[in-house]
Amino acid sequence: MPAQIAKDDLILRIAEIIIDELKLEDVTPETFGPEIDLVDELGIDSMDLATVVLVLQDEYSMKFDEDDYPKLVNIRLIAEYILEKLE
Amino acid sequence: MNPNKESSEFAINEMPENEYKFSDLISDPRVRDRWEKVRKYFFLRESTYDMTNRCNIKCDGCYYYEGDKQFAVENKDPDAWRDLMKTEKERGITYVVLAGAEPSLVPDLNKVCYEHIPLGCIATNGLKKIDPSIGFKIHISVWGNDDTSFRIRNAKQMLLKQIENYQNDPRAIFVYTFVKNNIDEVKEVAKILADTNCKMTFNVFSAPVGYEGDLKHTKKSLAITREVMLDLIKQYPETVLFSPYNVMAHTHTYGLHDLFGCSYPRQNPSTAIGLGRSFRQYRTDLTWDRSVACCVPDTDCIDCRHYAAGSAVVTARLHRHANNPDTFQSWLDYVDTYLAVWVMGYEKERNLMNKLVAPPGHEVI
Repeated sequence: MPAQIAKDDLILRIAEIIIDELKLEDVTPETFGPEIDLVDELGIDSMDLATVVLVLQDEYSMKFDEDDYPKLVNIRLIAEYILEKLE
Repeated sequence: MNPNKESSEFAINEMPENEYKFSDLISDPRVRDRWEKVRKYFFLRESTYDMTNRCNIKCDGCYYYEGDKQFAVENKDPDAWRDLMKTEKERGITYVVLAGAEPSLVPDLNKVCYEHIPLGCIATNGLKKIDPSIGFKIHISVWGNDDTSFRIRNAKQMLLKQIENYQNDPRAIFVYTFVKNNIDEVKEVAKILADTNCKMTFNVFSAPVGYEGDLKHTKKSLAITREVMLDLIKQYPETVLFSPYNVMAHTHTYGLHDLFGCSYPRQNPSTAIGLGRSFRQYRTDLTWDRSVACCVPDTDCIDCRHYAAGSAVVTARLHRHANNPDTFQSWLDYVDTYLAVWVMGYEKERNLMNKLVAPPGHEVI
């Protein structure tokens, strides 16, 4: 599978997890902009992010570093973080 | 002292740290229900406010009368406080802690805060009753029996007056602060509170910067405090809002910062997310200073075992507690306790974990 497609799929899946876990309304994985700042624009805080991270860890069988949370400010960056760990 | 001695009936966790999935950790229906219950409150974003520079008593070891904040000029203008609450709400603050020096002395300002941000808590000595229309939690400080209160707070029959003011008040939580020399007195206080249908929780004296007086804990006094806390959890489960993991976190040889890494701005330079981003500690002149911002300013961070600090610092460390069932369930107990102590209408459940579980990366002592 080409890396670009994998990344796009990953972005959609992360959006889906965020929507499900944080019970977001009025947004779908397709309309969830990957560049939207989760903290500034969506109001997500550290506990919300930790919840999402725990689910992502399960899904992709990997460990996130707690110190990396500040880097994970939008879906694209989360996707790149996961891809980097999968390499 | 061995915290695993038979009398306490609390075993020490010996579970190795394994690779658990989060879905495994919440697969038990009891655990999943508790997780779902507490996560509804992840929206809480706190800041704290010194309401006045006055108090009606003078206590040895008081945090307020340490450092510069005590010299702030008091802002008594309700409109100024109204404007502050509006801007606080706009920047996402959903929970206010009204503290220092004695908020009950400024009832109009308490009311203004409650009108704008209806979730919060008032830290008071309990001598002047706060209007029942203000639906914040009320934390009433207790520093030993009435003889000790008279000695270190210069207030006669303090517990009696506190109970008169707050008996059967669902807002009220009596916060017993363990200092080095009042540990056994808690048994007498807990019985009185249980007999009068009051709720209590525990705090551990945390020395202000430079304080070397008689109140400061030693390793020995922390160990004794641990035993007494565990006994009281068992003896008064309906009265005492605490869990074995609270006991662990607040009586450990290491303070909260060393155990969990304090996330308040004073110790956390990151403004990216969490407390480092949103928390402010306002002085009574409505200014704030990031470099000293935490829930108990002027406390020596190395000695910090304060209940308010733990409520944020331990809770914020969800990630590192989601590594095995015992640690995660202990964390859930801690958060369940914190919410019962701080949030009106939240009822504490029975603790999931009755073992002393070590904080991630540390031993039990």
